[in-house]
Amino acid sequence: MHTIYARVNNVSAMLSTCLMVLLGAVSLSSFLLTTTPPPGHLSVTNIKVFPGNARRYANKNQDFTFVNFNLTADLTPLFNWNTKQLFLYVAAEYENKQGTKNDVVIWDRIVRRKEDAQISVAGRNKYVFREVSASFGDVPPAHYTLKYNVMPYVGVLTYGEAARTVNPVPFPESQDLS
Amino acid sequence: MFADELKTLRRLGVRHVLLQILNFVSVLASGLMIWKGLGLITNTESPIVVVLSGSMEPAFYRGDLLFLTNPPNQRYETGDITVYKVPGADIPIVHRVLETHDLAKRGKGLVPASPLAPNQLLLTKGDNNHVDDLELYQGLEWLERKHIVGKVRGFLPYVGYVTIAMNDFPQLKYALLGGLGLLALIQRE
Repeated sequence: MHTIYARVNNVSAMLSTCLMVLLGAVSLSSFLLTTTPPPGHLSVTNIKVFPGNARRYANKNQDFTFVNFNLTADLTPLFNWNTKQLFLYVAAEYENKQGTKNDVVIWDRIVRRKEDAQISVAGRNKYVFREVSASFGDVPPAHYTLKYNVMPYVGVLTYGEAARTVNPVPFPESQDLS
Repeated sequence: MFADELKTLRRLGVRHVLLQILNFVSVLASGLMIWKGLGLITNTESPIVVVLSGSMEPAFYRGDLLFLTNPPNQRYETGDITVYKVPGADIPIVHRVLETHDLAKRGKGLVPASPLAPNQLLLTKGDNNHVDDLELYQGLEWLERKHIVGKVRGFLPYVGYVTIAMNDFPQLKYALLGGLGLLALIQRE
């Protein structure tokens, strides 16, 4: 009964139980510590649509939208001791004439320190903004939103929305590059 | 040393050995039951996965443990981290959803897309990659629900590194398995 094997077994079981309880408590604490950030401001300053070639089929034409936006938000309340990083992303939300609901991420940023959580960006889309039907003609106006994903050191991933354009932004006519 | 063990084995007899084998098998079976039970509750084929690549750094590193769910009545949203497996690729990939397109049902007139749109088109991207995953889809244009194993809900760092170590150094795996088997047979209780 008092063999080395039994002792090692007991000690490691004890240690791992303690560690698990501790990690559980840490992950629960982020539910209590997290507060929702105040709503930020997101506005689209410039938006243009140009035709171009699709990525996979070089002879297929497709519209590309280019969006410039201004973004300010204060996301410091999302940082607590269990916050590893924030994943911020700006997404366009719209429903086209065929009834397809679209949600397209056009910009993202990873924030790893509380000091960097005061966001003030005059940016443009990092990722190509295309339509499933290949054309932005006749597509109703889109809302742009800033969303965040809080990624903890241990525990549950949480999501939220920090800013939204006041009015939906219409897509302009496609311009030819000639 | 082994002669001693063999002597005890002979003294305890066949029944004891059989009992130990039964114990061992029941441990394995209950592990499998827990795994499959979790899979039933979370509606995914593998409720816990280990991160194998660095394409989601700095969010997930190699060896981190992810807990997945896949509720059948929830659509995937942009920003969700999904685990997907496209036909032709043998390793599931953990990447973030970049685009969702909920198609309206075709057929009798146009029906607005429901929140549970059955045909949702997805595009994903790894946080640490510069471009989206189109090249990884083995010829597919979009991901669909049937390719998704689940979305990441919880996170536990480092723990899964044991499995990566066992894959990288197979001797470790055999040593561990052999040691456990031997212990289960010899241990008398």
